[in-house]
Amino acid sequence: MSIWNYVVTAHKPTNVTHSCVGNFTSPQDLNLIIAKCTRIEIHLLSPQGLQPMLDVPIYGRIATLELFRPHGETQDYLFIATERYKFCVLQWDSETSELVTRAMGDVSDRIGRPTDNGQIGIIDPDCRLIGLHLYDGLFKVIPFDNKGQLKEAFNIRLEELQVLDIKFLYGCSKPTIVVLYQDNKDARHVKTYEVALKDKDFVEGPWSQNNLDNGADLLIPVPPPLCGVLIIGEETIVYCSANAFKAIPFGPSITKAYGRVDPDGSRYLLGDHTGLLSLLVITHEKEKVTGLKIEPLGETSIASTISYLDNAFVYIGSSYGDSQLIKLNLQPDAKGSYVEVLERYVNLGPIVDFCVVDLERQGQGQVVTCSGAYKDGSLRVVRNGIGINEQASVELQGIKGMWSLRSSTDDPFDTFLVVSFISETRILAMNLEDELEETEIEGFCSQVQTLFCHDAVHNQLVQVTSNSVRLVSSTTRELRNEWFAPSGYSVNVATANATQVLLATGGGHLVYLEIGDGILQEVKHAQLEYEISCLDINPIGENPNHSQLAAVGMWTDISVRIFSLPDLNLVTKEQLGGEIIPRSVLLCAFEGISYLLCALGDGHLLNFMLNTSTGELTDRKKVSLGTQPITLRTFSSKNTTHVFAASDRPTVIYSSNKKLLYSNVNLKEVSHMCPFNSAAFPDSLAIAKEGELTIGTIDDIQKLHIRSIPLGEHARRICHQEQSRTFAICSLKYNPTSGEDSEMHFVRLLDDQTFEFISTYSLDTYEYGCFIISCSFSDDNNVYYCVGTAYVLPEENEPTKGRILVFTVEDGKLQLIAEKETKGAVYCLNAFNGKLLAAINQKIQLYKWVLRDDGTHELQSECGHHGHILALYVQTRGDFIVVGDLMKSISLLIYKHEEGAIEERARDYNANWMSAVEILDDDIYLGAENNFNLFTVRKNSEGATDEERGRLEVVGEYHLGEFINRFRHGSLVMRLPDSDVGQIPTVIFGTINGVIGVIASLPHEQYVFLEKLQSNLRKVIKGVGGLSHEQWRSFNNEKKTVEARSFLDGDLIESFLDLNRSKMDEISKAMDVSVEELCKRVEELTRLH
Amino acid sequence: MHTHVWKQIRDREGGRVHANHFANRIKSYRTSQLQLANHKDIVSPHKGAINSLQIDSTEGRYLLSAASDASVAVYDVQRSASAASEAAAAFSKHRCLFVVDKQHRQAHKYAVSTAIWYPIDTGLFVTGSYDHHINVWDTNTTQVVVNFKMPGKVHRTAMSNLSTSHMLIAAGTEDVQVRLCDIASGAFAHTLSGHRDGVMTVEWSNSSEWVLVTGGCDGAIRFWDIRRAGCFQVLDQSQTQFGRRPPILKRSTITKDSSTKMRGTQKKHANGSGSRQHPIGRVPSKGPMKQRLHPGMLSTQDRATAHYGAVTGLKATEDGMYLLSAGSDSRLRLWDVQSGCDTLVNFETVRLQINKPLQLATTQDSTLVFVPCMRSVKAFDMWSGNTYTILRGHYECVNCCWFNQQDQELYTGGNDRQILLWSPVRSIDDEMGEGPAEDQDSWSS
Repeated sequence: MSIWNYVVTAHKPTNVTHSCVGNFTSPQDLNLIIAKCTRIEIHLLSPQGLQPMLDVPIYGRIATLELFRPHGETQDYLFIATERYKFCVLQWDSETSELVTRAMGDVSDRIGRPTDNGQIGIIDPDCRLIGLHLYDGLFKVIPFDNKGQLKEAFNIRLEELQVLDIKFLYGCSKPTIVVLYQDNKDARHVKTYEVALKDKDFVEGPWSQNNLDNGADLLIPVPPPLCGVLIIGEETIVYCSANAFKAIPFGPSITKAYGRVDPDGSRYLLGDHTGLLSLLVITHEKEKVTGLKIEPLGETSIASTISYLDNAFVYIGSSYGDSQLIKLNLQPDAKGSYVEVLERYVNLGPIVDFCVVDLERQGQGQVVTCSGAYKDGSLRVVRNGIGINEQASVELQGIKGMWSLRSSTDDPFDTFLVVSFISETRILAMNLEDELEETEIEGFCSQVQTLFCHDAVHNQLVQVTSNSVRLVSSTTRELRNEWFAPSGYSVNVATANATQVLLATGGGHLVYLEIGDGILQEVKHAQLEYEISCLDINPIGENPNHSQLAAVGMWTDISVRIFSLPDLNLVTKEQLGGEIIPRSVLLCAFEGISYLLCALGDGHLLNFMLNTSTGELTDRKKVSLGTQPITLRTFSSKNTTHVFAASDRPTVIYSSNKKLLYSNVNLKEVSHMCPFNSAAFPDSLAIAKEGELTIGTIDDIQKLHIRSIPLGEHARRICHQEQSRTFAICSLKYNPTSGEDSEMHFVRLLDDQTFEFISTYSLDTYEYGCFIISCSFSDDNNVYYCVGTAYVLPEENEPTKGRILVFTVEDGKLQLIAEKETKGAVYCLNAFNGKLLAAINQKIQLYKWVLRDDGTHELQSECGHHGHILALYVQTRGDFIVVGDLMKSISLLIYKHEEGAIEERARDYNANWMSAVEILDDDIYLGAENNFNLFTVRKNSEGATDEERGRLEVVGEYHLGEFINRFRHGSLVMRLPDSDVGQIPTVIFGTINGVIGVIASLPHEQYVFLEKLQSNLRKVIKGVGGLSHEQWRSFNNEKKTVEARSFLDGDLIESFLDLNRSKMDEISKAMDVSVEELCKRVEELTRLH
Repeated sequence: MHTHVWKQIRDREGGRVHANHFANRIKSYRTSQLQLANHKDIVSPHKGAINSLQIDSTEGRYLLSAASDASVAVYDVQRSASAASEAAAAFSKHRCLFVVDKQHRQAHKYAVSTAIWYPIDTGLFVTGSYDHHINVWDTNTTQVVVNFKMPGKVHRTAMSNLSTSHMLIAAGTEDVQVRLCDIASGAFAHTLSGHRDGVMTVEWSNSSEWVLVTGGCDGAIRFWDIRRAGCFQVLDQSQTQFGRRPPILKRSTITKDSSTKMRGTQKKHANGSGSRQHPIGRVPSKGPMKQRLHPGMLSTQDRATAHYGAVTGLKATEDGMYLLSAGSDSRLRLWDVQSGCDTLVNFETVRLQINKPLQLATTQDSTLVFVPCMRSVKAFDMWSGNTYTILRGHYECVNCCWFNQQDQELYTGGNDRQILLWSPVRSIDDEMGEGPAEDQDSWSS
C-alpha cells in the first residue's frame, strides 16, 4: 500500500520571484538577494561576478522580500512576508555566516477577504512603518519604534476594493502611501493617504489623479530630490507629484518588472512581457521634473525582477526563462542592443508538463520538461548525472589512448599527457604559461602508436608500443632500457604499474616483466589457448606499486581469467557467456572491497567481488552502460577512487555504503579518459571525445544535469513515442506585435536525439492543443499520436467544440489518420483497454477504434460518464479511471466491459480544486490541488455500506508549497536491481517554480522510523526567521488547516547529512540509533533522486 | 466580465495567475452563469411552504429543508441514490434521505420556520417551529436529543460557524428577548434584551464567535457581544458617512484643536466596533476603548432603526466586513460593520415579502447577493446595487435562498413547496446521440 509517502526535491525551485540589492552581509558588501518562492539566496557582488554566500529554504511561499535600513544602522535588514501571513526580519551574523531573526510574527486576520491581485508588502523609506495589503479593504500597519523595533500591528480600512499597487512616497514628513486602484466601472485612479500612526487611521493625502491608462498596473516611487511617483501603464507612463504631471506615450507594453538605476531616481530599467528592456529617464532641472524619456535597450529573458547591481551590471530574474546577469554597454552591438548577457542561471519554471523517458534504454530515466513561456519556452532534458566542467580543450582527431605521467616519482602533479594516435604518439605538457604545449620525451618512440604508458619507480617512465617496451628516465628523458617483442610477434595489449608490466602478443602469448632501476626483466611467459583481448594489473593489495594478481580477458571462449603474479598461474577462470568479447578489465577496490570489473564490447559491464587471496570471483552482476565498447580507468576525486567507464554513454562507477553505484557523465561520447592532475588543472581529467581533447574537473556525483532546447515558443504538452523515436509536443507561438489573442498552435514532431522539429501540423484558427499521448488500439499494430484540442472562440467563455486528432509518424512526418469532433475541450486523453478515453468538459468519454469498410479507421463513441464540473486530469489503471476535477477533488470510475458502461465507484467529497492526479496503486490515489497541497485518498472496497464504499477516504495530507502541474511514474536515477531503493515505487512531479520532486512510497516500518527522525530534526533544525516547519507542512486551504499526515518532508530529513557532528549526536541520542546507522539510512534515501 | 475558462486553466498552469485568484475567477464566472439546473433535481417531499434551506458547511453535501407542514427533510445533493443505474446519465434526481413529518412521534406540531446544521458535523441539526419549540436532532437516529421551550413562535435560529468554545443556538422568536440555547447544557445560557418587538432574524458574525447580530420587528439591528451585558451597537439608517476622511488641506487650515475634535467624534464609532474586533484581530484593546463599550451607548443611539418596519433578513458577508439587511420597507441595506455606517448602496428592489423572515444568500467573494423578491430571486451586484440577474422559476413567493459555495449552486425554496436548484450552465454533450440506436436525450432540448 502506497500510503506512506516521502516527498523530496530533486531540483530546487528556480523561478525568481523577488530580488533586491543592498548592504546586507556587511556595510561594505553589496549583496544581491534572490527569492525563488520558497528559498532565498544571498550573493555577494565581487569583481569575479556574483558569489553565492547562502542558499536556504524558507518555510513559506515568499510574498514580500524587502531590504531596509533602520535608523542608526550601517547595514540592511531583510523583511520577508509569506503567503500564509507570517513575517520575519532577518539580520546577517557575520561571525557565523548565518541569518539571525530580529523579529517575527503573524499578520493574519479573521476579517477580510484575501486579495486577488497578490499580497503587497512595503516599507516606509524613512523606516517609520511597514505596510501590508493582505486583505481587500484593509491596510495593515506595523510601526517601528524609535529604536527600530517593531510594535503592535493594526489595520486601517482602505475603501478602495480593487487595489492594484501601493507604494510609499519619498520625502514626506508623515508616512504617505500612494494607492493605484480600479473602481466599479473599471477605471483606474491613484490616491494618496497619510498614515496617522497615533490615530491609527488614514488622512487624505496631498494629491490624487483620476482616470489613468486602463492598463496602469505599477507604481514606482521616486526618491528625493524629485519625489513623486511614476505610474506605468500599457500605453502611457505618467510622472505624478503634488505639483507636477508629465506623461509620455509608450508601448503598447505590459511592464513586468522595474529596477532603479541611480540612487537619485532619475533613471529606471523597465522589463516587459516580451523581454524588452527599456531605460526610462526622468529629465529634470534641479528638482523640477521637465519630462520623461524612454529608450529600448535590448532583449533579455522575460523579467520578473530587475536589480541594478553596480557599474552597468544588472540582474534579471525571470519566471518564464533563465535568469541572467547582464551588462549594459555604452555602445550598441551590431544588432543595436545595449544588452550583453554575461551569465545565465537555469530556470525550469514553469514546468507545465513533462515526460519520463529512457532514451538510451539503460534503466535511467530522464525528464523532458515543457519549461518557460512565451519566447522563452523551451524543452529541458533533466538527467541525473555527473557534469564535467571544461577547463581547456584542443581539437585532436583520432585519439587511441591517453596517459598522464609525472616528471619524477615524488612529484605530486602530473606533467606530461601522452596522447596516442594510430601511427604516432604525441606528448603534451604544461608550459610556464599554464598552457598545454606539445613537447618531447626523447626516450619515447613517437612514430608509432603507444599501447600503454605508466610512471615507474626510480624516476622512470614506461612506454609500450607494438614491438617493444621502453623504460625511460623521467628526469633526463632518455631511454634506459628496452624489451623487444620476439620477431614475428607484435604486442596487442599491455598494461603496467609502477613496478610491473604485463603484455600480450599475438598467438596468446602473455609476457610478464618487472621494472628495476634501469632494468626491464622478463620474468615469466605463458601461452594461452586463445588471443588475449584485455589485461589489467592495477595494484589493489597492500603494496600500491605491485600487484599479485593479473586479470586477463580472452577472445574465442569469452572468458575472464585471474592469474597470480609473478608466476602467471591460472587461479580463476570465469566464462562470461554470450558472444561479446571483454574489451576492458579492471581490478579495483572501493571502500576496502575488491572488485573485478569487466566491460564487454556491447556496452555491458560485469562486476564481481574478488577475493584477493584466493582469486575467487563471486557476486557476479551485469549492467548495461551503453551500446559501444567500454574502456575502464580509475581516477580519484576528493580522495576517493572511482572508475570511469568511457563509452558512448560515459559512466562513473563508485561505491557508497559498500554498494556499487553508476552515474552518468554528461558527455555525449568519450573514447578515452585519463586522470590529469597538473598544477594548473588540479584534480582534472583528460577526456578524448569526438575529435577533441578536453581537460576538465568532475562534478560531485549524483547531480542533476540539465540540457536546454530553446524553442522560441511555448510547449504545453509533451509525450514520447519509442517506436518512432520521436517526441511530439503541443505548442503555441505568440505574435507579440498583435497582442495576446494572436496565437498560433501546433502539433510538432521532434527527433528524440537531436530535438529538431521534423514535422509540424498547424491547428485551425482558434484551435488550441490541449493534450497529447502516444497510444495503440486493439486489433491494430500501429502506434499513434492522439491529440486533443479545443476551439477557443473569442465570443465563448467555455469551449463547446474540440477535436481528437490521430496521427501516425511516416517517414518522419506526422500524418493525420483520423479525426473526431467533440463537444468541448479535450482536457485529457488516456490509452484505455485498447481504446481511447477522453475527458471532454464535464464528461469522460470512451472511444473505440473501428475499422471501416474502406480499410481506414475511425474513433467511435462507446460510452461516457457525466457528473463532473470539468474533468481536467485523468489517470487509468486496468478498468479503473481516476478523475481529478476542476473543483470537486478526485472521483473513481469503473469501466464495465459487459455493459459497455462507465460508472462512478467512489468520490472524495472535499472541495479540492485539482491540479494533477496520479494512481499510486490499486487503492491509493494521489492528488495535488490549488492551495499547494498534496493529498492521498483510499478506495474503500470493503466498506460495510454503500455510503462507505462510495467515499474515497482521505489518508494523507501535506502542504508542499508548490503548484504541481503533472505527476508521472518513474525515476531520475538508475534503478539497479541490487539496491534497496530500487524496490521503492516513485512518482516524479513538476511545478510552476521549476521544482522537480519525487514522491516515494515507503514501507511502513521505514516510514515510522523516518517520521521519528523528522520530528527530532524539527527540534534541532530551526526554520529561517523562526518559521515553524510543522505549520509550513500542515495541509491548508480556505476551510481548514490540519497537521500533515502520511507524508514526510524528505528535504528536512536529508538535511540531517548536512548537520555538524554534535547535532547529529543529539539526534542520535534522541532516536537511540547510532549516527552511522542514521547516515546510512538517510543516504539511502538520497539515492531516490 | 469575460473569463475564458480554458485560458484561465492555461494561465494557472503557467503561473500567470495565482492559484487563489484563479479559483476566485472561476467561481465568480460560474456564479454569473446561474440558471435553473438542467442536470439535477431536488424532489421536495414537503406539503407546505419551504421556509428554510441549508447545506452543511463541512462537505457541502447534505441539504436540510424545513417547511410549513411541520416537516423537515435531508437530501444528498452530491450523490443521487439512484446513481448506479443512472451513472451514465447527465441528469440526477435527488430524493430526500429522510423526512421528519407529522408521522414522526417527535415532530413539530406547526410550521417549521428554521432548520440548521450543527456547524461542526452533520451529526446534529436544529429546528425551530411555530409550536414554540426548538429541537436538536440526532441525524442518524432522527430522534430529538435536546428540546427548548421558547416563549413564542420561533422565527430564526443560528449557530456560529467560527465557534470553538460554545455550542449556542441563537433564537429569534415572537418575544422581544433573544435567547441563547446551550446544546451542551440543554438550558438557556443568556437572554439578550433590547428589542422592542419580536425578533425576525439572527445572524452570527463571520469574524468573531462572540458577536451576534439580530434584526427585530422594531426595525432595529442590534450587535451583541454575548460575553457582556447589553448590546454594543445599534445600526442607524441615518448614519451614512462611510469612508469620509478629513482632507489634508482642510486639516491644515482648521486649527489643531478643532481638527482633533472632529477626529474624536469620528473615532467614537471606530472605537466601539474596533474594540469588538480586537479580541480576534490580534490587536489587544487598550484601556480607554474598553470603557466606552458598555453601557456607554447613548439612549438616542439605542433607539436608532435600520429599517422602517421590521427587519426581515440579515446576512453577514464571508469576509466579516459587511452586513446586509432586508426590511419590510422593501429596502436592502449594506452596512459597514466596523463603522456601523450604511454604505448607501442603492439596491433596486421592487417588493419584498413583509410578514416572513427572508433568508438571503451571498457569494463567497461577496460580489452578488441573492434576495427573495416575491416570486423571483434577484441577484444584485453588492457594490453597485444593480440587478445582475433575476431568477424566475417559483410559482409563489420565495422564502429562502442558500448558496452552496463549494459548487456555486443556489438553492431556493418558496411557498409553492418547491426546492429549485440554480446552477452554472452545463453543456449537454451526449455523444451517444451519434450511435445508431440511441437518440438525443429527452431532457436536452
